[in-house]
Amino acid sequence: MPESRTLRLQRALASLVLNGDEAAIEADPGRVAHQQGLTGSDLRSFRDQGPAMMTYRELARMSLIEPLETMFPVLRALLEGAGSWGGCVEAFLDARMVRSPQYRDIAPAFLGWLAATRWGQDRWPFILELAHAEILEVLVARFPDSNPLEGLHADPGPQDLIILDPATQVVSYTHAVHCACSESPVPEARPTHLLAFRDGEGLARLMELTPATAALLVQAQTCPLAEAAAALNVPDLTPVTSLLRDLRSDGAIAGFRSFP
Amino acid sequence: MAQDRFTGVGLGLRRPHLEQVARMEGHGVPFWETCPENVIGDGGRYHRMACTILDRDPVLTHGLAMSVGGFDSWDEEYLRDLGEFLVRTGTPWHSEHLCFTSVDGSCLHELLPLPFTREAVRHTISRARALQARLPVPLLLENITYYAELGAKEMDEADFITAVLEGADVGWLLDVNNVYVNALNFGFDPREWLSRMPLDRVTQLHIAGHKKFGDLTVDTHGADVIDPVIDLMQWTLSRLGRPVPVLLERDNHIPDFDELLAERARIQHAYDAALVPSEVRHA
Ligand SMILES: [Fe+2]
Repeated sequence: MPESRTLRLQRALASLVLNGDEAAIEADPGRVAHQQGLTGSDLRSFRDQGPAMMTYRELARMSLIEPLETMFPVLRALLEGAGSWGGCVEAFLDARMVRSPQYRDIAPAFLGWLAATRWGQDRWPFILELAHAEILEVLVARFPDSNPLEGLHADPGPQDLIILDPATQVVSYTHAVHCACSESPVPEARPTHLLAFRDGEGLARLMELTPATAALLVQAQTCPLAEAAAALNVPDLTPVTSLLRDLRSDGAIAGFRSFP
Repeated sequence: MAQDRFTGVGLGLRRPHLEQVARMEGHGVPFWETCPENVIGDGGRYHRMACTILDRDPVLTHGLAMSVGGFDSWDEEYLRDLGEFLVRTGTPWHSEHLCFTSVDGSCLHELLPLPFTREAVRHTISRARALQARLPVPLLLENITYYAELGAKEMDEADFITAVLEGADVGWLLDVNNVYVNALNFGFDPREWLSRMPLDRVTQLHIAGHKKFGDLTVDTHGADVIDPVIDLMQWTLSRLGRPVPVLLERDNHIPDFDELLAERARIQHAYDAALVPSEVRHA
């Protein structure tokens, strides 16, 4: 079926909003219409209404960029310091990676684009970790609510598996990205392990973990606690079970289940 | 009738106010408008507060990103969730914008204008009918502000909107601020414009603030409503002669809840005055 004129007009407007080459679009707003095979009065309408068409570019880009500015202030400070923030955002919009109708998904889509394209990673090897750390708490805070898991018990035993709350994340970074701030956006190169979880109030909390605790929290999800502890050379389970009990009452752990 | 619960001036449910509203039952707001995209699939503290309010108070739903005039296929899973959400809230109808918001799967998060052409009318009618068939409540379409015409037009905006509403046989969410802003930007008389429109289809009104940027007026939802827009709302209400619900939109520069309540009360006062039967007014 030949593409309809309506669809070509919509594609032209989307290109006018998202395409990277601002100077070329500014110089000739009809260019995007021409690229869609539009001619005559349709093509002219883009040219004759140039400034008004550019208003759409400005408004739509503003609404797409705002969540990035809000959610990634440290990354923005880092890149602005190098004169690269505008280029980064432009490359992201040009890649058309915002695929979800939910506004809250724009920032995660940006993170996905950074990961997929490795944008800036040669110059800033920590850039992906930094961006991830910046939205970690929001991702945890807004993780979709679900029904409580059933069949779990409250006290951890040596033959138990740890069942994390579905919103909880155990993350490991090669840089201390959670300590970076807008004034000092370059993180120290230091292995960092974080536990991000939702407390009883439904608010996100962040806790720094030792490497051993982080490893235990990951491994004891698939092999019994005593076995995971032994593999990590943790001789005494008493302090471990006491920490796990605390994490359960804080909301990070949903409960414990006997290893089948 | 369930619709009778919806009259007067309601407010959009906004994140900064959730905590206060969830704790407050006697807030005097007759109904809330909520955007399903912001609630479905969300979680955590603010989500729980929003659900408390949505389960407790009368609610109307208003979508932002359905791209009714677009070409992307429907997200059937989302539509199922939306249907469940609409039933849960008890909303008597669901509104979307008469526009497109996504192209080739790419979401623009902006209300973009449809071409004022016969082809776009036909396309939008079939999309609106297909959407209506997937919803458990009647669909309303809202007129948007636009800053440029998309392609060469074959009719004017009024004829375009009328043709879609009539062809799709859906109700109209009439945004009087959008009419006012378009009238400023394109130089027409909003009352004359409204007189040509199928007012019998109006089921709900929107009212909001806007802002001037140079020669252009933009529908920002970020300021108090100005008197000429309130006048236009009153003119419309007396033309309609029925107490359709009005929603005061405020999405930017969101003030404290108390300030927003005062703004609501001001609009409600104008609403009540417009609906006083003329014999009472002149007695
Ligand atoms: Fe509106």
